[in-house]
Amino acid sequence: MLIQFLLILSVMVVLIVVARAGGAAYVQASKRVGLVAFAAANVYAVLRPADVTVVARFLGVNRGTDLVLYSLVVAFMLGMVSMYVRFRVVDRRYTELARAVAIREAESVNSRRGLRQDDTGQP
Amino acid sequence: MGLANDDVWVVIPVFNEAGVLESVVRETLAVFPNVVCVDDGSGDGSADIVLRTRAHLVRHPVNLGQGAALQTGLSYARNRPGAAYFVTFDADGQHRLEDAAAMVAVARSGEVDVVVGSRFLGSGRSVPPLKRLVLRTAALLSPSGRRLGLTDAHNGLRVFTRPVVDDLRITMNGMAHASEIVSYLGGSRWRVREVPVSIRYTEYSQAKGQSLVNGVTILFDLSVRSRRG
Repeated sequence: MLIQFLLILSVMVVLIVVARAGGAAYVQASKRVGLVAFAAANVYAVLRPADVTVVARFLGVNRGTDLVLYSLVVAFMLGMVSMYVRFRVVDRRYTELARAVAIREAESVNSRRGLRQDDTGQP
Repeated sequence: MGLANDDVWVVIPVFNEAGVLESVVRETLAVFPNVVCVDDGSGDGSADIVLRTRAHLVRHPVNLGQGAALQTGLSYARNRPGAAYFVTFDADGQHRLEDAAAMVAVARSGEVDVVVGSRFLGSGRSVPPLKRLVLRTAALLSPSGRRLGLTDAHNGLRVFTRPVVDDLRITMNGMAHASEIVSYLGGSRWRVREVPVSIRYTEYSQAKGQSLVNGVTILFDLSVRSRRG
């Protein structure tokens, strides 16, 4: 069916894009493996939707589409948390950089303003 | 010791406080000769106001948040020769210098490493009821705050001694830094004492204070942080 072809094609495109951008070392290996496994499961589900329903029934969900939806919600939230944590790391580095720049500049500005840098600690 | 309080550095984080800043800085300089204002990317000329005074100015190139500004000020002050005591002070004029001076005196006694101001120890009448409820809840929810017996986890007026500042690293750039400092103190061996202070709640400071929404953000940030260890 055409829809199966289109879905599988888009999964392949995503995988190729990820593989080519893979030079960025910051993506953890475990996350890459997870992504490939997710893509493989995706392709399988597209090819054999009936099997997904079997799994869904086994888990106590009526339809395979529902199971896919629930999994998607969980995956989305995991992705959000992962992005948030990543953002915090980047934010911390960015802060350190800005702080270093600010302090370096302040030291020269304040000494030019004639504020003595050593007016304390005199014997 | 030379002049009075010349081993004290007052750190004032500044973000768009042009309205009250000059009087706050001048009054502070009259008591504590060493003041560093950290301008957190203000767009209202707050930095120029600081330049008119004898306070040191550190300017963040971009807005980073109050926690980041505090850490920057402490890092800068720490590098000044002779700095031994570090006071954090809000730019909006809500803290009283008499309280700050009394807290420095407590720190000088050598009995404690950190002195924290509390709005609830004394009469506490200056705190509006809703704000009081929010702040008391925040203090109760914080495990380290309870362990240290703190009644007020979010007071901006604090005095740190040098060893504490050498060790402390504030990583919460936004408003969660107050809770971060409390949990840091709770997990450390520093001797902490709370001292009653009173707050001048003006309309100006209330408009900038912590709201309930802010509290939710703080809890979220802290929970993510502690999960990462």
